[in-house]
Amino acid sequence: MLIDVDKCYGCMACVVACAAETNVPLGSFRTWIEHLVKPDGTRIFVPKQCNHCDDPPCVPPCPTGATYRTADGLVLVNDELCIGCGACVKACPYGARYMNPVKGVADKCTFCDHRLAAGLLPACVEVCPTGARIFGPLHEDNELSRTVRGRPVQVLKPHTGANPQIYYLSLPDEVNR
Amino acid sequence: MLEYYFPNEAAEPLLWHPVLFAYTLLVSGADLLILAALAYLAGSLRKAIPLMTMLGIAFFAVVLAGPLADLRSPQRAHLIFANPQIVPTAAHPGISLTAFQTIAWLIALILSVLFALLTFSYHSHQASLSSTGFKRSFYRLFSLGVTTAEKYSVVEKVAKVVAVLMLPFLVLWGIYPASLFLLQTWNPVWRSWALLPVTYFADTFVVATALFMLVYFLWRYRAWEREVVVPVLKIHAAGSISVAALTGLQMAVWWFWSPSTAEMVSPLVPLMYAVIALLMLSFFLSLVAIRYHAVILAVSLVAMAGTFVNKWNITINSQLISKTGLAFLEAELKGAWLLETISPIALGVAVFLVLSMLFPLEVMESGK
Repeated sequence: MLIDVDKCYGCMACVVACAAETNVPLGSFRTWIEHLVKPDGTRIFVPKQCNHCDDPPCVPPCPTGATYRTADGLVLVNDELCIGCGACVKACPYGARYMNPVKGVADKCTFCDHRLAAGLLPACVEVCPTGARIFGPLHEDNELSRTVRGRPVQVLKPHTGANPQIYYLSLPDEVNR
Repeated sequence: MLEYYFPNEAAEPLLWHPVLFAYTLLVSGADLLILAALAYLAGSLRKAIPLMTMLGIAFFAVVLAGPLADLRSPQRAHLIFANPQIVPTAAHPGISLTAFQTIAWLIALILSVLFALLTFSYHSHQASLSSTGFKRSFYRLFSLGVTTAEKYSVVEKVAKVVAVLMLPFLVLWGIYPASLFLLQTWNPVWRSWALLPVTYFADTFVVATALFMLVYFLWRYRAWEREVVVPVLKIHAAGSISVAALTGLQMAVWWFWSPSTAEMVSPLVPLMYAVIALLMLSFFLSLVAIRYHAVILAVSLVAMAGTFVNKWNITINSQLISKTGLAFLEAELKGAWLLETISPIALGVAVFLVLSMLFPLEVMESGK
């Protein structure tokens, strides 16, 4: 996924669509928007979520293999194997995971894998009014792969070595935390 | 400090509850088995080995009760044994320290029980000679057929092999919580606390010896034996000064080499000073107690206070620092958290009491 920070104006449609689509418990977030006010008064909105990392730090600590990486590069949780130890929540450098108090398991963004299976886009991508989020397979020729190859993109916390698969355009250093 | 944290952190700032604190204490108490194995291999502290072994086994047997109480889906806890994440694959890269340690726990527990049975075998036979009825049958069973001193000398060699085998697993357990914090979390405090595993390892000797001295004091009151107390005090003194020094060294590393980390950990610093002070005091009291044994209760209590503060600071307070490193969150302890925290330790004490009724806590040098 690519997120163009310049196009986001903080309407929260993605946050609401995600919560409605995936039944996110109150107080927890699969995606959220961080708001930065620069000294010159410029307002910047940065959507964040699970980065579906290539080397996900959340997968190795899982004692039962409930957290896994699919061949398509999604990082998912198998609810039937999750014991709710919270190791993956502690291991995620991005604060993208939470314990689902209803299900008693770790929870996170799935890129709406149920929608992908039906040929649809993730809810947050589909609902974005400015097209700030672009989704697609990186190995194919599409807008996402062309942008990632052709323009200077950033990722969050590159020092973790997690190889995040969410790329940003115009990401300010102040929110790269 | 700029207040900046992730929204999911605010939803549950204290993900691992205080029962984790009790768990790390149990791990350290269980590491009396390390002392028992080392003493057995070195041929020293023979009189203290039974008490160390029984206390160690009692705490080690219940050590998983802590994390079990903290699971959100404990009904699936058996999956750690049934489906352990210890072989990396494309879908599951890496090895889970938790799964590895759970398997190691089972192996170490079996070896520890075997070690206890072997070392107690001849003593059980001797106990059976002076018992009647059920007790006689019980001690006969646990004598494992070792009815002569000659047979026992062979068993002692086997026990030494078992002691060697169980040591690596027990040492891994001694540093397990620290290595999990350091290697498999992205908590910025744990991640930057490079000395945490070695501090935990030194701390196991502090807790183990403090626990031993407390129980020894309660059991023998003032009839202490110098050959038991003095070596334990020396180990305790070495452990206490090591933990105090390692804690101070880690603070110095942060201050001199990473000012941003030093600023981030500032909410933890007051208790780190308290840890250093209490363990230094315990160190000096240990030296005094070598001459004046009446002080050993104070040594034990001061060391335990230092360890409680240290483990609370590391396991609970450190969790409250955001992954951004830019906020110190607040958490309200809810429900019967104190009861939940004490229960695993109380279970360990209960197991010890049962074991102490069944097996001798002290044997003579001659094997009686």
